[in-house]
Amino acid sequence: MNPRRVLAITRRLLSQFRRDRRTLALFFVVPIVVLSLLYFLVRGSGQHPAVGVINQDSGPLGGAIATQLLKSDRVRASEMTEERADAGLHDGSLAAYIVLPADFSSRALQGHVIAPEVHLEGSQPGPSGTVLQALSQSLAAAASSASAPGVASVRLEPKISYLYGGPDFDTLDYFGAAFIGLFVFFLVFIITSVAFLRERSQGTLERLMASPLRRGEIVLGYMIGFGVLALLQAAEVLVFSLYVLKVHNSGNVFLIFLVEALMAIAAVNLGIFLSTFARSEFEAVQFIPLVIVPQVLLSGIIFPVSSEPQWLQYVSNVLPLTFAVNGMRDIMVRGQDLTAAALQLNVGVIFGFCGLVILLGATTLRRRLA
Amino acid sequence: MQEFAIDVQGVTKSFGRIKALDQVSLRVGTGEIYGLIGPNGSGKTTLIRMLIGLVAPDTGTVTVLGQRMPDVGILSSIGYMTQAAALYPDLSVLENVRFFAAINDAEQGVDDALKLVELYERRGSPVATLSGGMRTRCSLACALVHGPKLLLLDEPTVGIDPQLRRQLWDAFARLAGQGTTIVVSSHVMDEAERTQRLGLILFGRLVAEGTATELKRKAGTDNLEEAFLRLAREVAA
Repeated sequence: MNPRRVLAITRRLLSQFRRDRRTLALFFVVPIVVLSLLYFLVRGSGQHPAVGVINQDSGPLGGAIATQLLKSDRVRASEMTEERADAGLHDGSLAAYIVLPADFSSRALQGHVIAPEVHLEGSQPGPSGTVLQALSQSLAAAASSASAPGVASVRLEPKISYLYGGPDFDTLDYFGAAFIGLFVFFLVFIITSVAFLRERSQGTLERLMASPLRRGEIVLGYMIGFGVLALLQAAEVLVFSLYVLKVHNSGNVFLIFLVEALMAIAAVNLGIFLSTFARSEFEAVQFIPLVIVPQVLLSGIIFPVSSEPQWLQYVSNVLPLTFAVNGMRDIMVRGQDLTAAALQLNVGVIFGFCGLVILLGATTLRRRLA
Repeated sequence: MQEFAIDVQGVTKSFGRIKALDQVSLRVGTGEIYGLIGPNGSGKTTLIRMLIGLVAPDTGTVTVLGQRMPDVGILSSIGYMTQAAALYPDLSVLENVRFFAAINDAEQGVDDALKLVELYERRGSPVATLSGGMRTRCSLACALVHGPKLLLLDEPTVGIDPQLRRQLWDAFARLAGQGTTIVVSSHVMDEAERTQRLGLILFGRLVAEGTATELKRKAGTDNLEEAFLRLAREVAA
């Protein structure tokens, strides 16, 4: 082994790397950005599940528990009417509300059973668990305080109801809906960027430009081709998720396909558009950390957008994938159809994004009259 | 039928500070084989790309088959073969030719094109498995599958052995005999002899034009390569 020859290779690699500004930036900037995002998502989440507390108890116990709930640092609890709480649960501003019924104290003292009604939104397993933890903590705190004598020996038997999902609803049900949508977007984006880049680098795009083909025909051809592939993949993923992994779905399968088709169209055109900015397949692969990773972190797939710090929520709310993820959850978790305003908004935004990237993709394909 | 297949008048084109074409005017008659010769980087490719409308001139006009370029409508009458064999390597020869036929609405020409370039027997082979020469022929088949009236060939014989080069030129001659106008760029002098007229491009300017014999006489030599070098030296001086 000749160390000079080895060093020649090492030195050549480093020189190449130094010339490649973009890879250099990517290499040193991306880890910091991704780690910072994770920091804000995991540690910076100032927001705790919002919980409504409705105390109808005539006795002292309800008040004691309500006071403890309002003081709890696990949830953001506030007192409200049952009507408002129910509306809050439907529009997503509340993760749960807890009703302490009129006979709460007397039943606790006579029957030794504490039975608050817990109404959970249920689409996210995380907050549901937090709410139940906060409730039992509040009960323990109330029991140890002097205001409710004789409570220490009672059982907690909350009556839990779910707006969406149910007690069997787990993390996979919550993630599954989003991931089904993510696969289409991610994979179609990658194969389109690479396919289109190849078209450029092998010179066939020049040939297409010198043929009677029009820009719209090229874009539409690509859209249909990869769209068909995407829907086949969607069908496979959906069958596997629903029937093999038994992921929860309360919505219409055709609506899922509609959202996936829109995402595929968006991904194809985003791929065509961004392939203009890459000179090699190597550079195209670099779009993964730039385009995909931040969207995966910020679109609410893993970390709910509502638990992000406020300034990050602004970022999340302009990312198209956020709306796609919400749309998929509206359908699969919440069982919404196109009459629901939330789903209309989400589908509408994805639709608009499709329009935008089609325009961008077609524009960059302009006959390069330089 | 218009008298000239190509009519270029006073065309100038700059890329940044580099003048790729400088006041170029040339006319190519219908059915003529016109050779563009000149060293690498002299502007041949820019001129050819301009003829197909991929590059717009800064000044001057380009008229092809009676249409001011760029014009998308006329493109189905033009065949264009790029310098590198621009093909889809994972597709077979037949699939490649058929694709370029389909985007020109000319699927009926596939078999003839394959036979013309003598690839009919190999039509099932993926392009990635072909030799360089076969790829070039396949690329040529893709350029002429729709029976264009004008064929633009950008250095079609680069990297091709002499025997195959002769075969290709025989094919060009046959096509020209059927009325196809051919513009071919090259820096190989022995094939320049087979064109009907030559244009010598240097530093973006068309410095000499005529038949191979005329150019040789002008330079006072009977060797085209020597003529080329002498004419180039005159320009540089």
